[in-house]
Amino acid sequence: MATDPTISLKIRTSLGDYLQQDPATIRVTQHLRDDLGLDSMAVIELLYRIEEAFDLQIPDQDLVGLTTVGHVVRYVEKRLGKTASAAPAKKPVTLKNPKSKKKP
Amino acid sequence: MRARVVVTGLGVVSSIGIGISEFWKAALAGQSGISAITSFAPFAMDGYRSKVAGQVRDFSIERFLDSAHGARVDRYAQFALVSTKEALADSGLQMTKEDPHRVGVIVGAGMGGMVMGEREVTQLYEQQKPHRVHPNFIPTITLNSASGIIAMAYGAKGPNLTISTACSSSAHALGQALHCIREGRADVVIVVGADASITPLVFAGFCSLRALSSKFNDQPKKASRPFEQSRDGFVMGEGAGTLILESASHAKKRKARIYAEVAGYAATSEAYHMVIPREDGLEVAHTMKLALEDAGLSPAHVDYINAHATSTTIGDAVEAKAIRLLFKSRANKIFISATKSLIGHTLGAAGAIGGIASVLSLQTGQIHPTANYEDPDPACALAGLSRSAQERRVKVALLNAFGFGSNNAAVVFKHATT
Repeated sequence: MATDPTISLKIRTSLGDYLQQDPATIRVTQHLRDDLGLDSMAVIELLYRIEEAFDLQIPDQDLVGLTTVGHVVRYVEKRLGKTASAAPAKKPVTLKNPKSKKKP
Repeated sequence: MRARVVVTGLGVVSSIGIGISEFWKAALAGQSGISAITSFAPFAMDGYRSKVAGQVRDFSIERFLDSAHGARVDRYAQFALVSTKEALADSGLQMTKEDPHRVGVIVGAGMGGMVMGEREVTQLYEQQKPHRVHPNFIPTITLNSASGIIAMAYGAKGPNLTISTACSSSAHALGQALHCIREGRADVVIVVGADASITPLVFAGFCSLRALSSKFNDQPKKASRPFEQSRDGFVMGEGAGTLILESASHAKKRKARIYAEVAGYAATSEAYHMVIPREDGLEVAHTMKLALEDAGLSPAHVDYINAHATSTTIGDAVEAKAIRLLFKSRANKIFISATKSLIGHTLGAAGAIGGIASVLSLQTGQIHPTANYEDPDPACALAGLSRSAQERRVKVALLNAFGFGSNNAAVVFKHATT
């Protein structure tokens, strides 16, 4: 699914600021923890910035699905009701993983 | 036999210098770090009774640290990181050669992370958006953020404590570190005092307590004048001081340079009043006496006192009375100086910075002036006070620190070869 380049750029810029890294080097496939080295506190701080950038409130129950840059981009697009493709996504992006909640 | 404890490294952040060399040179010159408050802008100073403070100017953590630790903590803990970096380098201690569980950190802090604290509280009340409170708010204002970040920066896994007894915090930190090493719980303790709360709310609070000087707003450098006739309250300061304490055997084993010995300590409570000291000075005298006994010394041994001396009318008079009570005729033979006359009252950092001045006097034989000691108050007259730097071989130095909450502390330092 295509992503809104404006949203994607804003998120990568936020990440770049946070990590002091060129946003152009950040890819949507990258895992926030495994690839970018963000610990759980750093992810929370990043989402705090994203809430501000997009004037959003991200409920706690949505955090679980946000593990890659792409997840965050698609989540924000969904919340803002935007994608870059002309047609809306055929399949809604699943951001929550109900199974993961059942894990001890 | 209990372990002897020595000081092997020093570091400081103050309004008269960042770094021991700059600080001590300015201190001996009697330079004042007090200036008009500008950091509240655009918040107007008109409504404040006092308008001066000892501010650390042009401080930017990036100038001193290249690690990410500084970015995660408030200004007071940034000061603590900077003074600690200097002190550790000064001590020559190499963490890679130490057992990390034998290196502790004890920090004294009175107010803690008030810069972020005030900002977040203000925003919350103005905007009423609880979800916009910064996620790092709690870890930043938690009072042990400095001791925590220092341990993380250097891998110090020994006892990690924060002591908050208002203005006596870091004198107590020194004393607790002394106990910790004496009892064999650590070989090395990084002792820090730090505070940075010249913020609109805290400053207003001290104004409301009528504790701050307000007569010298147009002459900031004159405002802090301990023991002097026209003193009218203390001047807020900010900063940090770090002293590396270690057992004498550990220091000798690694051939460290020894500045001085930390020989004794006492902590008492007056159990009297939240902000007013007992006017008879008995409890302060008792605290100094206990610290000397802990050091195995008597009042006759003391050459120098780094006085608490905040420049308040009652506080200075009580301390002078207590000195005369304990030292009797010797009171006028002891050299005395008030570090707060130069940098203001750095609250939780005061004990550590006063301790650094004491240690430097022991090491160099130089005693810094008490600025603005122009017209001595008869109620506080002590012959050993001077507006000029003095030279004298100091064998035993006593540090006083008293805090709101009826707290008293005294620490005894001895010359390294005594």
